[in-house]
Formats: sequence, structure tokens, C-alpha cells
Amino acid sequence: MTDQNPSASALQIEDLCFRYPDMPSGEWVVDIASLDLAPGEQVLLKGGSGAGKSTLLQLIAGLLHPSEGSIRIAGTDITTLSGAKADLFRGQHIGFIFQTFNLLHGFSAIENVMAALMFSARPPRQHRDLAAQTLTTLGLDRHNADISQLSVGQQQRVAVARAVVCEPELVLADEPTASLDPDNADAAMDLIQQACSERNAALLCVSHDRSLDARFKRSADFAELRSVAKEGV
Amino acid sequence: MALTDFAIIRRSMFGRMFSTVTTVLTVAVAVALMLTLLSLRDSGRQAFERGTGNMDFLISRDPSALVSVLNGVYYANPPQQVIPWAKYEQIANNPRYFFFDADGDASNDVEVPPGYAIPIAVGDTYRSLPVVGTTSEYFRLFHPTVDGPFQVAEGELFDADFEVVVGSRAAEITGLKIGDRIALTHGTGEGAHLHTEYPFEVVGILEPTASPHDRALFITLESSWIIHAHDRRIALGGAEDDLATAEDVSDDDRLITGIYAKVATRPGRGVSAAMQSVQNQIRSDTSINVAQPAAEVTRLFSIVSNIDQVFLGMAAVVMLSSGIAIMLAMYNSAEQRRRQIAILRVLGCSRPRIFGLVMTESAIIGLIGAAVGIGVSTVATDVVAGVMRERLGVIVTPSVGAQWMLSIIMATVFLACIAGLVPSIMAYRTPVARNLRPVG
Repeated sequence: MTDQNPSASALQIEDLCFRYPDMPSGEWVVDIASLDLAPGEQVLLKGGSGAGKSTLLQLIAGLLHPSEGSIRIAGTDITTLSGAKADLFRGQHIGFIFQTFNLLHGFSAIENVMAALMFSARPPRQHRDLAAQTLTTLGLDRHNADISQLSVGQQQRVAVARAVVCEPELVLADEPTASLDPDNADAAMDLIQQACSERNAALLCVSHDRSLDARFKRSADFAELRSVAKEGV
Repeated sequence: MALTDFAIIRRSMFGRMFSTVTTVLTVAVAVALMLTLLSLRDSGRQAFERGTGNMDFLISRDPSALVSVLNGVYYANPPQQVIPWAKYEQIANNPRYFFFDADGDASNDVEVPPGYAIPIAVGDTYRSLPVVGTTSEYFRLFHPTVDGPFQVAEGELFDADFEVVVGSRAAEITGLKIGDRIALTHGTGEGAHLHTEYPFEVVGILEPTASPHDRALFITLESSWIIHAHDRRIALGGAEDDLATAEDVSDDDRLITGIYAKVATRPGRGVSAAMQSVQNQIRSDTSINVAQPAAEVTRLFSIVSNIDQVFLGMAAVVMLSSGIAIMLAMYNSAEQRRRQIAILRVLGCSRPRIFGLVMTESAIIGLIGAAVGIGVSTVATDVVAGVMRERLGVIVTPSVGAQWMLSIIMATVFLACIAGLVPSIMAYRTPVARNLRPVG
């Protein structure tokens, strides 16, 4: 369906510019000359609030369309996909982890994980086993508990399971530790990083939490990516 | 079992149970109202057209033609005015009217459809059921419906005084059997009294005709006159145990309440032309009234159909407001589910699929509402039909054809889809990023 190439970068951004239609020309919300994540590579992208981090994640996810440039995920330029194709691609190749988990309320833990599989190419009869297996690997046994009955730590596991169950090439984590105390934050990051490396999924973690620096071999400042781009022009 | 779109819809409906149930009920009430009116309108009219059968005229002394038909054919109330027997003979034996003479023979060799002028005396009752005094012509010539004359289910027709033939529905209500002996009630209200001294023997039970006559019991005119003579003699000071006989009947007792009449037509002559001229001739006698039952039923329904249209209009308005209820419920649902929708989008759900989720939920509410409505209307029409049968003897068989049923269901689902359009578009447009932000 998509030209997947195992040797291709998990994420490859080139000359990416984005502004909202009502903004004056010359100003960009997102402006990145180049960002490259190898398969399985884990990168921390730092930046304060309002720096355009969320917008970048939306661009990568194909929820927003860039003004210029290209975003390749596992070899496929998501900016050339439109509408339903981009949605399908996102579901199959990108996993998401949010600060507040964004789990589906009124559904059980395993249903939350199966919700991600709904939009994948996996045969439906495998969904339950796959979801159960993923939850168990991540240390959650209460598969059928409603998520409101789970502790924060358990909800975190469901969120991570949901992000990786489709075996995505890229996992995007948006401020995953912002609402956690330092102990829980550590545990959460361990969980996320381990889950990604076990599945060889590249991780792009966007955060303003400087304490995460030590966990990543490679980190970049959002503002610097931007200035690099300006110099390049 | 994988998670399916349907599971998400079902969870959404169960999650807002109160809203879902009230919305479904609103739809159900609208559908039930619509169906009940539609089915009763058609079958009610058909039922009313049964009963007048092949009679052209109902001759009576009721001042209103409509009232005379309601009393004389549907037994709504006992007629208050009587026709003396002499007057009956004067009308019935006039060959220009009905080509009917005492022997029942046509005056020449040409075969003509038989006309008739059958006397009926309504007013006595048996356990509140109407008792009709008449002659054997009633069973031979009068056809209560298009299906032909009365048929005997059991026993035989009366051929003597104090024999009674029971209509099918009357037999069902009273449980009367051949050979039972019964006493009739004469008069109504305070003057009503039971004539145990004149027992009647059940000699026959009729087949159902699905007409109001099924509720009636039939006796000879002579029997009702003998009872009348007895009452008259007591009123004049006679002894109660001195039973009157056929010899005691005088012209004061020979009274009837109406005449079922049919104009005989010669081949090649139009029925309507003959009817009009006969009606005009009888009407020249101002002491009697000539009603055309078929025309009265049509008139009655032209009055009722106006009300009908008001009801149908109301049903349409209720239908419309149920559509608005669906829209409101789905709008609230889409509003409350913004985050859920955004999450599904991030997980790879396309906009059209989100649109489909909300639309399908709308349609399901419409479908369940229609189904419940059909159930409710089935019960409602049965109840109304039962009341009409008990009160008026009008046999209504409420039936909405499968095709109607299907179109109602389809129309309701269609309406639900239209109502779901705005909420579905709203869900379709739900911005993803904004609705995934941490709350507070």
C-alpha cells in the first residue's frame, strides 16, 4: 500500500514550514530545515510552551498540512497523502502518547488497546489476543477493568500499549511526564522507552522537562531547529 | 472479538441511556400516532360501509337521515319514532317503488333483480344487545354486506313467533346455544322491563358477517307486537297473568321503526335514476324520512376525514419534533464526545468514518423508535377497534400492510438520518489537537 523501506529513516523532515492561513507571511509556527530519526532511534525535542511543538506533532501525524516541505515516515511522505489515506497511514505507522493519556472513557483497558487495532490492517479475530499480549508484556493484568478503575500508573500502561500495539515505526510522545510526580515520571519514561526499543520503534519525545535530557542519547532544541533553518535560507 | 464501530455506537447509546430512551420514545409515539390514524382511517371506513349492504333506502320517522342510519343500521340508540303498519303497507305495496308485492313475484316474466321493503322494529334488547323484529324477507333479500345474505351457522331461521335467531357476535357475547330459552327486555331507561312471561327459544345462530348486525338478535314482528299488546292491556287495567295472544294484537300494536328498502331495476335502466325518482315520490309524504345509508356513511366520513387530516397534520408535527429530538440528542452526544472523536481520529479513524458513527447512531435510534412505534400502534389500534366493536358494532380490522410498515420504517430512518446530519457534520469537523489537550 505504501512504499515501505526497512532501511528508510523512521522520520525524515526536510524544509518544513507551516503557518496558519490567517497569519502574516514571513512568520512560521513551524520551521524546520531537517530532522532525521533512524529506525528505533529515540530523540528528545525540547521547547517551552507555545513554541509550536504540538503543531509539529500534528504535521507529522498528517492532521495538518504543511505550507512547504516534506515529512517522510518509514519512506512515505505523509504530506502527499490526503484525507482518509493519511488517517489510515497514521493508524498503522504512528503511535501516540499524551500527557493525560487520552484514553477512551467507558471502555475497558483491553478495549482501549483494541481501539487502535480497529484502524489497522490486522485481521479482527487477532485483535483481542494481540491487545492482551501487549498489555501483559507491559505489566497490566486487569484487562477487562474499566479505565476509571485503574490507577494512574496502570492507565499509563494502557496508553503505552495502545501506542505500540500496531507495531508503528514511529511513536510520538507529547509531554508524557508533565502531569506526573518525579517518581512516576521516571517509571513512565522507562516504560515508554523500553516499549519502543523492544519493538524497534523510533521515539520522538516532545517536552519542556529538562530532566529528561539524561535519558536520551540525542536531544534537540525546538528553537535551534528553527534558527538552523533560517541560516540555511 | 475485536472492537467494532457498532460496539462504539452501542457504548455511546448505553452511556447516555436516559437520552437514548427518551429520544426513542419520542420517535415511537410519533410513529404509533401516524400508524394508528392511517390504519383506522382505512379500515374504519371499510367497516362502516359494511352493514348498509344492498339497501338503497332506510325509511324511518327519525328527523335526521344520519341519526336514522346510526340507529337503524348500527343500533346506536333505539329509534324514538314509530311507523304504523298501515303506512308500511302503503309504501311497500306500491309497485312503482319496489316492484314488490305480497307474493314476492315480479309482475311479468322478465327476470329483474328483486327489490324489497323489509320492516324492522328495533327497541327491545337482550342483555343490552339489540333485538330486531322483522320478517323472513330480512334473511332472504337483505344482504348485510357485499358477500351476500346471512348464512345460518347452526339451527335454522325462525318460522314461528317466539323463536329467536342470534347474530354471531351476540352468540359469542351471551354464550347462547340452540334450544336456550331467553326473556327479552322491552323499553329503555326507567320503563325497561323484562318479559319473563314470554320466553323465546333460540332456533338459529348466524355466521359472522363482520357487520353491526352480528350484535343483534332477530325475532318475528308478530312476537314483538304480542308483547306490546300485553303491555298495553296491563296499562289499561288488565291482569298481568292474562297473557295476550296473536288475536289480541290491534293496529295500535302493529308498529315498526324502519323499513330497509331496495329499488328493483329492470334490465337496461339505471339504478341511480330509479332511486332518485322513488326517493322523491316517497318524500312527498312528509311524515316519513328517506335516508340513503351509503350516502350518509360517505357524509359521515367526509366530516370525520376533516378531523382525520387535522390528526394526520398533528402526527406529522409530532414526527417533525421527534426528528428535532434526535438532532438534539445527537448534537449533545457529539458535543460530549469531542475528546473521544479526537482520540479515534488520532488512532487512525477517518473523518467519513466518524461521520458514519454518528449517522448510524441516529439511524438506529430512528429504527428502534419505528419498531417500538409499530408495536405500540398494534396495541392501540386493537384497543380502539375493540371499543368500536363494543359500542357501535362496527367491526374494524386494523391492518397496515407490510409495505406500509416498511415505508414507515424507511421514512423514519430517513428522517433520523436527516436529523443526524448536523451532528454528524459537527463530529466530522471536530478539531483533533484542541480536543486532546489536557483539561483545566
